[in-house]
Amino acid sequence: MRYVLTRLGMLLATMLLVSFLTFAAFEAVSGDPARNLLGTEATEEQVMALREELGLDRPFLLRYAEWLAGFFSGNLGVSYSYRQPVGKLIGPKLEISLCLSLMSFVMIAVISIPLGIFSYHRTGGFADWPRTVFNQLCMAVPPFFTGILVSWIFGILMKVFTPGDFPGFRQDFGESVRHLFFGAVCLGIPRIAMTVRMLRATVIEEMNKAYVRTAISRGHDRRGVLTSHVLKNSMVPVVTFLGQTLAELVGAGIVVEQVLGIPGLGRFLVLSISHRDYPVVQTIVVILAFWVVLAGTLADLINQSIDPRLRLGGNRG
Amino acid sequence: MTKRISAALLSALMMLALLSGCGAGNGTPAPTATPAQTEGGAEAGDTAAKAGRAASNELNVGIAQDFDSLDPDYMTAAGTKEILFNMFEGLVKPNAEGEIVPAVASEVSKSEDGLQYVFTLREGVKFHNGKAVTPEDVVWSIERRRGGEDTAAQLAALAVISEVKAEGNTVTVSLSEPSNEFLAYLMNAYILPAGYTEQETAPVGTGPYRFVSRTVQDSLVLERFEDYWGTPGKLDRVTFRILENNEGLILGLQSGALDLVAHLTSDQIAQLDSGEFETAVGSMNLVQALYLNNAEKPFDDLRVRQAFCYAVDKQAVIDLAFDGYGIPLGTSMFPSFSKYYDGSLTDYYSHDPEKAKELLAEAGYPDGLDVTITVPSNYTPHVNTATVLVELLKEAGVRATVEPVDWGSWLENVYGNRQYQCTVTGLSSDNMTARKLLERFGTGIGNNFTNYSNAEYDEILAQAIAAGDDAEQTELYRSLERNLTENAANVYIQDMADLVAVRKGLEGLTFYPIYVLDISALSWT
Repeated sequence: MRYVLTRLGMLLATMLLVSFLTFAAFEAVSGDPARNLLGTEATEEQVMALREELGLDRPFLLRYAEWLAGFFSGNLGVSYSYRQPVGKLIGPKLEISLCLSLMSFVMIAVISIPLGIFSYHRTGGFADWPRTVFNQLCMAVPPFFTGILVSWIFGILMKVFTPGDFPGFRQDFGESVRHLFFGAVCLGIPRIAMTVRMLRATVIEEMNKAYVRTAISRGHDRRGVLTSHVLKNSMVPVVTFLGQTLAELVGAGIVVEQVLGIPGLGRFLVLSISHRDYPVVQTIVVILAFWVVLAGTLADLINQSIDPRLRLGGNRG
Repeated sequence: MTKRISAALLSALMMLALLSGCGAGNGTPAPTATPAQTEGGAEAGDTAAKAGRAASNELNVGIAQDFDSLDPDYMTAAGTKEILFNMFEGLVKPNAEGEIVPAVASEVSKSEDGLQYVFTLREGVKFHNGKAVTPEDVVWSIERRRGGEDTAAQLAALAVISEVKAEGNTVTVSLSEPSNEFLAYLMNAYILPAGYTEQETAPVGTGPYRFVSRTVQDSLVLERFEDYWGTPGKLDRVTFRILENNEGLILGLQSGALDLVAHLTSDQIAQLDSGEFETAVGSMNLVQALYLNNAEKPFDDLRVRQAFCYAVDKQAVIDLAFDGYGIPLGTSMFPSFSKYYDGSLTDYYSHDPEKAKELLAEAGYPDGLDVTITVPSNYTPHVNTATVLVELLKEAGVRATVEPVDWGSWLENVYGNRQYQCTVTGLSSDNMTARKLLERFGTGIGNNFTNYSNAEYDEILAQAIAAGDDAEQTELYRSLERNLTENAANVYIQDMADLVAVRKGLEGLTFYPIYVLDISALSWT
């Protein structure tokens, strides 16, 4: 119970802090939403009138307080650029981004855990160095490049999906999911490589520990020790890492969304920042903060069930 | 075991991808050459994609930015006006030849003193919602634009209207002073249903295409308006796909998702298979220049401004940053406004770095000087131009640095507050008037972000705007152009080329002297 309360408090504090910082950051950087909306032909009077209409002429703290009050009463505000309620605009983007991130996450977990263990088995073998090189390569490719590669191979050569033609869930669910699948691949590749490397390193470290030697000297076979003891002990850092991955995935889609033409949250965030569309940016940022805390909490809970020592709130190691 | 196989497969794929990626990256100099090995597979699939859309008489167009508003009175972005041209019309509208032709009105008559315009409404013009256009709708639409409660919807130039009245089948517009360019400005007073408040989400106009659906930051779908009063559109349905990433647009063309993309760079065109796409070359109708802050040091000195003009080789910019596509300019006017355009000003300052150095020394900069070029980072062509300018200015001893800023900051600091030294951008005229291009250099004008101030210029400008006679007015505008050149108001560079990738089989693309994409003339063969 106490744990839940602490977590909730943390969540609230994070969201408050992040939203305030975003608000303050916008105050600090130049750029005026009114001028942005009215473009280059507007007169000074028009800019002033619109600033007043949007309430931008009022003090910063007052605006923040109002936004906060609105947020807690379920009113996310109206987008400056689109003159539509923020909730209505963000809903469909959130659906897409969540689907993309979860697909990517499942892919990362399902592929990297077995692959990490498999790659431990092969340590020092003949095929070790090309695999290490390949692993490094996968980690190093920037997402826009993976995006172009994947679109090129699967979209243009193999015609499995059509980059730039995302139909939307309501129009064609299957095609949309297929489209997102390739986005998930682009997001997944470097993270799979990282997770594999990490798991492998942890397993190697764990296998060199005294208890493993003892177990093997007592006649257990290597594989048995690996599956029944080492794996469980190696999981804690990996789960933590996966938690972080899950947290960053929602925001990480920006580049991939742009290259593959997926209308997700990341793209919307970038655009809204450049338009100085505060209500939209604020809401997206709060959603991302919520997501990060949520992912962290999930990782924590799983780790506690793996390693009961963590439940007491004591330090590890 | 299967894991190993899949790992091997994955690595094989990655290798293949790397290799082919390199192949494409090496670049082919001309758009004609294409990697032969991809042709077979690509062709079959793309033809299928095209055949599908051609058979259903549809078209997919890729655009680089979202619409800033679907309410035509609120739209300010050039990219929005470009597309919504197909949905909305005023009493009069522009045609491809640069003439103002009747649209919702069938006839226009002007009183002797130029203070009254009588518009006879065309018979049978309908809104997209099926209702007939009434004189009341027209009055409401013009009133909204001229200065209703909605400040953001106001068009400053229409403040000259003193009264709008409906009478039978006509609408009479009275002006407080005569204005030769009144009709041009009236083109942007779009006729909308009176009192209709849903323009933003369900826009209704009178144009050849009507709204079907919109997904924010993803797409806009239009369909042919069957009750259009004029020549109806040929395509049944046109989808505009928003892909703000350049790679995304090119991939979209290559994958068959898109059939037409305008405003591409020569590099992007070179990536396309010339067997599938044709390149149409038009002009952007923009005056691209290194705009100088005439009120700030060092550009408050005529000699420095002239030195910059001598130092910059326009053709070098066009060759280096635009692969030779573009028309050099010497003043704030471009060739498609042929009536006003004075080509002799282009070479007024011939490329001469030595002369530039002399002028700088005279102005008190014998050791050269440092300047900052502020550019909006989202406009790659302007950023590239600035980069080339830095190199060209070096010859004259100018140490320039490029400072990219995001669009919002550019608008506020450069355009709004005029806190900058110089900037690269393009200026256009969305209503086909010379006035739009030249008025902004008058002293005290709201959008005179270059702070150009010249007594003679102001005098001629006032005469030009008030001139009743077209020939006289044209002459005055031409002398304004000369004034800008002689006083080196800005370092004029070029009218940028508009490169459009068009899928083979699509025809009817026409270039307008303003920034619009007319989809009503497009069709599949």
